[in-house]
Amino acid sequence: MVQVDSNTPLNIRIKFKKVGSLQYISHLDLVRTMSKIIVRSKLPLWYTEGFNPKPKMVFAAPLSIGTESLTEFCDIRLNERVSEEFVKEAINNNTTKELEVIEAYYPETKLTDMKWLSYDILIKTDSADAELAAKCVKTLMSDKVLVEKTNKNKETVTVNIREQIKSIEGSFDGENILLRCVLSAESSSFLNPEYLIKVLKREHGILSCGDLLREYYSISRIIAYKADMTEFK
Amino acid sequence: MSEKNISSILKSVAKPGRYIGGEFNQIIKNKENIKCRFAFCFPDTYEIGMSNLGVRILYDCLNKSEDIWCERVYAPWTDMKEKMQEYSIPLCAIESGDPLKSFDIVGFSLHYELCYTTVLAMLKLANIPVWSKDRGEDCPIILAGGPCVFNVEPVADFFDVVNVGEGEQMLLDISNLYIKMKEEEKYSRESFLHEVAKINGVYVPSLYDVSYNPDGTIKEYKPKYSDIPTRITKRIVEDMDTAPYPEKFVMPYIETVHDRIVLETYRGCIRGCRFCQAGMIYRPIREKSPETLNKLAKCLYENTGYDEISLISLSISDYSRLPELTDKLLSWTDEAKVSLSLPSLRIDSFSEELMKKVSSVRTGGLTFAPEAGTQRLRDVINKNVTEEDLMRAVNIAFRGGKSNVKLYFMNGLPTETNEDIKGISDLAKNVIEAYFALPKQERPRGIGVTVSVACFVPKPFTPFQWEKQDSMEELKRKQQYLKECITDKRIKYNYHDAEVSRIEAVLARGDRRLAKAIALLVEEGAMLDAWEEYFDYGKWIDAFSRTGVDPDFYTVRGFGLDEVLPWDIIDCGVTKEYLRRERDRAYAEKTTPSCMEQCNGCGANKLGGKNRWCK
Repeated sequence: MVQVDSNTPLNIRIKFKKVGSLQYISHLDLVRTMSKIIVRSKLPLWYTEGFNPKPKMVFAAPLSIGTESLTEFCDIRLNERVSEEFVKEAINNNTTKELEVIEAYYPETKLTDMKWLSYDILIKTDSADAELAAKCVKTLMSDKVLVEKTNKNKETVTVNIREQIKSIEGSFDGENILLRCVLSAESSSFLNPEYLIKVLKREHGILSCGDLLREYYSISRIIAYKADMTEFK
Repeated sequence: MSEKNISSILKSVAKPGRYIGGEFNQIIKNKENIKCRFAFCFPDTYEIGMSNLGVRILYDCLNKSEDIWCERVYAPWTDMKEKMQEYSIPLCAIESGDPLKSFDIVGFSLHYELCYTTVLAMLKLANIPVWSKDRGEDCPIILAGGPCVFNVEPVADFFDVVNVGEGEQMLLDISNLYIKMKEEEKYSRESFLHEVAKINGVYVPSLYDVSYNPDGTIKEYKPKYSDIPTRITKRIVEDMDTAPYPEKFVMPYIETVHDRIVLETYRGCIRGCRFCQAGMIYRPIREKSPETLNKLAKCLYENTGYDEISLISLSISDYSRLPELTDKLLSWTDEAKVSLSLPSLRIDSFSEELMKKVSSVRTGGLTFAPEAGTQRLRDVINKNVTEEDLMRAVNIAFRGGKSNVKLYFMNGLPTETNEDIKGISDLAKNVIEAYFALPKQERPRGIGVTVSVACFVPKPFTPFQWEKQDSMEELKRKQQYLKECITDKRIKYNYHDAEVSRIEAVLARGDRRLAKAIALLVEEGAMLDAWEEYFDYGKWIDAFSRTGVDPDFYTVRGFGLDEVLPWDIIDCGVTKEYLRRERDRAYAEKTTPSCMEQCNGCGANKLGGKNRWCK
């Protein structure tokens, strides 16, 4: 443990994955789980003041249930500087394989510097072929990609999400359609990849057979980017 | 949870985190080295089951054996149940994802009578025949334990083996016998059931014939073999300090009901409230030492990361070394930002000092249970608290900044009159007056009093076991009457569903003739009856009438003092003579002192036990 300055709280960032069955726990549950993990890890945690002291954690771009991720970020406030390796190891000794820290470091960026996120979407659908893959890309890259959303007044409105889509690449592996999508990660214009599935269901009738074991899809978050499309760290 | 790719199914149901397992501290073993696969089933949802202390203790205890791998199983919610049926996915254990049917022993924890339909529904989802007699050599041994087994008769025909009392050693004995008979190639269901019936505390319902009198009451229980006990005596753990207790808890990813460290401080109760089954069936009192508890607490904190420790017992202030324990804990918990909570505080023991120790806990309210509205009725039930006690307690609470007080009562207690019911409303009013009697600067802002009233269910092994339950009409009239008595808008009044209480009473007091009704309900889709949204009174009554069961027989009839009771096959330690004496004292409106003051000769000390009150 390298101690530099014990008085100023500072943030350490962990980059972690949330994969396998962990994709089924909500963001709120992830927060609760992580708070226990960092306590078990015996990090020199900084606690909030007041009646009900809690460790301080900030997460970037919450994942929705059913999406895996290889690139999650969480800033944890510490009371003192400890080595990055120590943090990574301590946490990984106190978590499960499906929620593992890839890297721990003292960040030079703000979490809000993350602007784009790439996702891999795998679609197993009856009509899958190279042609359908191309159609899917075309639909999602056309000028208008309309989805229905619920606004603050709980009204259903139709919005164009095209601006929030940076790029879509499609392919067919002989069985599944694979889409690599780069979508907005900014909190004001964050795009949930589930919306793309909704559009494709509507436009191309995919995943409509009703048999959940025959037709399905999966989504994984792969890389985070800054505004200049270099990798966010 | 199964070999099939069920990810798309998980995405289609609510709270899929219930079904994933893989939690930190879960126990995974190599199947090759295991001689007994044990599935521990909790017949309710994951969130409820994960909080159950009994499951946590026994999961740890069984897994300490190299030969046994104990896994967890919970009831799926109805949306998942439908998907499992649609896609032919059998019920599986959380850890391995293996189907229940492939296990050696499948144990159910029976914690509440209304979970019976869920037990059967789980067996059906596992493709295991629900009736014990229909199970072949390819089926696991189906076992039951938990508080409901003190009258397991209504579901006795569904279980191969029943554990009466504390399971720590008993489950190991059962598993080890199973392993031994398999290894020696002496195992068959029939021979195993005969042998296992000789283990202390084990009840094998199929080895006892029940006969009935012409009036429908029970004539007798007759064992089929001469080498099995005529009555099954409850098994206990003698020394709580050396009893196994988990040093790790499986950490749920999703929020569960009691998501914190729980420390069991002692078993049993010194009080003897005459309606309370827990106060009788967990006797004799056996304490853990503060040293053991503090060590466990530290260990659990390090292995879980929880920020709250809850001290569990039937009445925490009766723990004889509570100040010592809280001091030990507070010596490190403050710094670790861990708070203490003390549920089950008695009104007469509530003190400023105690409240300060737990003051780090969240704001909000306090709950007290006077149980009855007048001193007369509180004497009848032997609650042994007075209105003065309550007023003293709420004054401390108000001064300590607590503005919400919750008061628990019961309707339908023996000898209850309108005056007693009105007494509930008077008591609540007096609490509000006590608040306003305090100077403004000494009380928190805004007062709320909640009056919560349950319906009395006469439970087996209590001095009130022979009593009748009020009819539903009478219970509803009483609830309505109390509603009229409570005029103060600051009193929030809620009461339990009388229909649920009536079914509860039938199941708690019933005999083997109820089994057909329960099986019929499950046949027609019943499950999760402990959940309001799935409890259907009409269906229960219909199932009773179609199977020839008269619910009145078990409720408004009351049981004769000389009648053979369905639970007479069990010896819970407390004698019938004692219960009868206590019943007489109830009608004489005489209280009985606690076991701390004098021994009242309940009989439970014959079971043994260290660090107990009674001599």
